[in-house]
Amino acid sequence: MLQAHSWLWHYLWVAPNIVLLGLGLAIWKRRLWRQFPAFFAYALLGALSELAVYTTDVVPSISAETFWRAIWTSLLIEGPLKFFLVGEILSHTFGVYASLKRLASILIRVLGVVLVLAAAVAAAYPPNDSRFGIISGAHRLEQTIYLVETGLLLFIFLFSAYFKLRLSREIFGIALGLSISACVHLGSWAFIANGIPSERTRSLLDFLNMAVYQVCVLIWCYYLLARPRSVDVSPPPPNQNFPHSDLGDWNREVERLMHS
Amino acid sequence: MTLAIILVLAAVFALILILCVALLPGTQLSRNGHRAGQIQPLDVKAFRNLADRSEAEYLRLRLTASEFRQVQRARLRALAAYVHVASRNADMLIHAGQTALTSSDPHTAAAARELVDSALLLRRNATVALLRIYVALAWPSAGLAVTPILEGYQRLSGSAMLLGRLQDPGSPVRISAQ
Repeated sequence: MLQAHSWLWHYLWVAPNIVLLGLGLAIWKRRLWRQFPAFFAYALLGALSELAVYTTDVVPSISAETFWRAIWTSLLIEGPLKFFLVGEILSHTFGVYASLKRLASILIRVLGVVLVLAAAVAAAYPPNDSRFGIISGAHRLEQTIYLVETGLLLFIFLFSAYFKLRLSREIFGIALGLSISACVHLGSWAFIANGIPSERTRSLLDFLNMAVYQVCVLIWCYYLLARPRSVDVSPPPPNQNFPHSDLGDWNREVERLMHS
Repeated sequence: MTLAIILVLAAVFALILILCVALLPGTQLSRNGHRAGQIQPLDVKAFRNLADRSEAEYLRLRLTASEFRQVQRARLRALAAYVHVASRNADMLIHAGQTALTSSDPHTAAAARELVDSALLLRRNATVALLRIYVALAWPSAGLAVTPILEGYQRLSGSAMLLGRLQDPGSPVRISAQ
């Protein structure tokens, strides 16, 4: 069952992308694409490019070289889309607060440069894991994309946690799914690109990637489509919202201090 | 193979960290939950005395160098405690403000956004001020600037008061002590 071209393999490759395509259509129908344009584009283009790669894999008349060219094309489409998506998460999380916007923007740029340099070094370091440059190149590109993506997403989670910022339901779901997918894919592609695994291990890692991606697509569906449970929207009772008293004295005192 | 191990370990570590942060209560924005009651009022007079440069200069002139360092370190530790409280208050107000962000009343939502912005600024400034205080603890004779903290707290006070009044007109807000 855990072999390439088994029924489970077909299911895990096709089903998440069909669901993601459906999610994209639901986002369009609910007009959520205006709020999350990058995720909308990722859901549609990402799913379509993966289904195209799947087709090149299962159609017998398509050569192996064409299959790897399709993988490269898919990576070149999905890579920038993922970074636009990270940018969208960043903008929804910090962009609305003027006091953090500039700091977050500076830090993410510095981190981005560091991560790209680290990913370039990591990509240049390993020996070819394949006799064919087109295959090892694709593996290194996967590793590079996921390394940068994981670093940026980790920064977003840690930075928002430090400032006790809570993410909106949709952005939380998108960021969580993307992060889980990025971390697991980074681990497996790093192993495939540098570890030279056996065919059996390689096949198991493919299953792991596909299964995790399926879980991530379901996370996105849950957070974007399912309605949250009803919550208490009534204002808090008097005296429980903030403690009593006047801030006038404090303000006058501080003003006197600042202008003395 | 070494690089593979390093990257796999980094990926596992990142995944664990992200899941820990994501599973923390309060990572997701919701309309319920208020923790603003835990706000600790700050004694502004004591805070002002501790941050006053002229007080430090006076002590420097009156005390011997070693006595001054000892006293100044104690003052800096007290100042750090105040900044910690201010930072913790900012956390509470970020929480309260973010909860109010989901309000259907546009005035409350706008006041909440202003409060969260001010609280974030204070938290950022508090982090920098704490770093400066800890550096100053090593060199007590060096000057120390805490004005951004005071400015941030002043803005925060105004925003908290506005939001508190919008949510509950009968209950003004206090984040400082007399």
